[in-house]
Amino acid sequence: MQADTLIIGYGNADRQDDGVGWHIIRNIAQRLGQDVPNDPGAAIEVISEKVDLLFILQIYPELAETLSYYKRVCFVDAHTADIPDPISWTELDPEYEKSPLTHHMSPRTVLSIAGTIYGKQPHAILVSVRGYSFQFERDLSPQTATLTKEATERIWTWVNNSTAENGA
Amino acid sequence: MVTEKITIEPVTRIEGHAKVTIQINEDGSVDRARFHVNEFRGFEKFCEGRMYFEMPQITPRICGICPVSHHLASAKAGDALMGVTPPKPASLLRELMHMGQIIQSHGMHFFELAGPDLILGFDADPATRNVVGLIGADPDLTVRAVELRKFGQDIIYQVGGRRIHPNFAVPGGVNRALTAEKRDHMLAGIDHALETTQIGIELVKNWAEANIADIEKFAVFDTGYFGLVTPKNGLELYDGKIRLVDKDGKELERFDAQNYLDIIAERVENWSYLKFPYYKKLGYPEGVYRVGPLGRLNAIDHIDTPMAQAEFEVYQQINGGKPVPQTLYYHYARLIETLFAVERARELLEDPDLLGKDILNTKHDFQGEGVGVIEAPRGTLFHHYWAKPNGQLERVNLIVSTGHNNWAMSKAVDSVAKTYVKGPEVQEGMLNRVEAAIRAYDPCLSCSTHAIGQMPIKIDVLDANGATTQTLKRD
Repeated sequence: MQADTLIIGYGNADRQDDGVGWHIIRNIAQRLGQDVPNDPGAAIEVISEKVDLLFILQIYPELAETLSYYKRVCFVDAHTADIPDPISWTELDPEYEKSPLTHHMSPRTVLSIAGTIYGKQPHAILVSVRGYSFQFERDLSPQTATLTKEATERIWTWVNNSTAENGA
Repeated sequence: MVTEKITIEPVTRIEGHAKVTIQINEDGSVDRARFHVNEFRGFEKFCEGRMYFEMPQITPRICGICPVSHHLASAKAGDALMGVTPPKPASLLRELMHMGQIIQSHGMHFFELAGPDLILGFDADPATRNVVGLIGADPDLTVRAVELRKFGQDIIYQVGGRRIHPNFAVPGGVNRALTAEKRDHMLAGIDHALETTQIGIELVKNWAEANIADIEKFAVFDTGYFGLVTPKNGLELYDGKIRLVDKDGKELERFDAQNYLDIIAERVENWSYLKFPYYKKLGYPEGVYRVGPLGRLNAIDHIDTPMAQAEFEVYQQINGGKPVPQTLYYHYARLIETLFAVERARELLEDPDLLGKDILNTKHDFQGEGVGVIEAPRGTLFHHYWAKPNGQLERVNLIVSTGHNNWAMSKAVDSVAKTYVKGPEVQEGMLNRVEAAIRAYDPCLSCSTHAIGQMPIKIDVLDANGATTQTLKRD
């Protein structure tokens, strides 16, 4: 049976706090008793009855098809000082957000593509954690590492609540 | 004359690494426009001290857009450093992976980034001028666009075994052979990918025919052209010599990658962090050149695959057999290259040696220095390593594709701004054209870090006193 819920972490674990999504996905995989790579930034794909996990370097258009298979999706990323909250929890509406000069896509954009092409849009949230340092390092900054624990806990609660709501 | 200054820039250093400034005269005309790049160069230092064989796993992390290009250029630099030639199956597999990268990157650029401008129009409502907006115009095309990108990615996955951070090419070869089952899986997708690419080509040709007046005044300027070629000057994306031709197509140089420092130099300008490469013998700026799809097609005489060659013959007619200087034809060139990449993928998949088990040459002849070159989607990519006898790197030099086009992008911005921008009230369509001038080159500015909360681009219109009179931004 496929899970109804998908968590997608994305970012670059070689750029310190930009890789917070990798660390959170790894934490959740461990809670599920799954084997996960130790190499920061390595791809993670975990399929379980409770929740599926995916870590990717960046969001790409064909991810829309994957989204269309789920009822709930949680995106996990880092954010900068432009967002004041240490941990930001945002309900996402599908909306095409243009990235004028790069291949970068946003969660809203890929949700928009999922709805338009596949006719399905999961309920989606974006959980982002404040990043403080984006150097060429694999260890999170101390501040972000602390926030990562809290964010993992909140996402884990969300997963279990979502599962309960589904009757699973 | 009093001038105003328009600045297009990202807010933080980690997303865009670039901004555009446009100086507006009192009468609303553009005095000068520039494209400034603040490219992060710390990666070379980060690599020093690492072992040469780690580099194919480390360098793909430079970039989330073209990790395969860095992976393969790095492995090739390792080949040269260790004086080792990979066995034929390994070279075929590396090239196949590279074709996957070209297909996915070019496909995404045309259909999802540049295509909406062409199909829906530069002045269309920005809320619908995107791939989702394309649904209304052509739903089948949009589905195909996603599928084409997915096909390219799938080749990378089938060959390399990982969706990100490939651990496949190593100095001397590759670390996994291909199975017949995976080969057949990839072959099954070729015809559909060819069809989609041809649809895109017809689309861009029809657009060009209807918009030829715009094309002829949109960033048209002469440069040299630069790219890898086959022994008979055919299109080559994985290996070969580098050919540099002038604006008329006359060959200026034909050289081995290892000699690149004898041929090109880099100019420093005080308004950009990214250097400006140029051909040494002609000096700067006379010796500037362009790379990427337009640069490559202008530097070759033919293409060795039939469908791409047929299209290349049409391309050659644009300027009577001479190089094509119009920036907007980058899009056409990009699709011709996509056609080549799909056809070449089929050739590689049908080569009986592809499934060979002889994939790694372990007989080394340490050279101490090695250059690896590849035609990344955006242009020629150099990896140059210097190592101690124990294989530890002492120095690393990377020349990324976007750097070669630095002068051309700034020139394109200046040209388009002067043609289309009229101040002081700058309309969205004007801004979009300036962006489109940069987009045509498909620069890689992101350096693989994309935290939430950054503003990809904004324009501030400043009066002569430095006060902001207008702000346009993209979220």
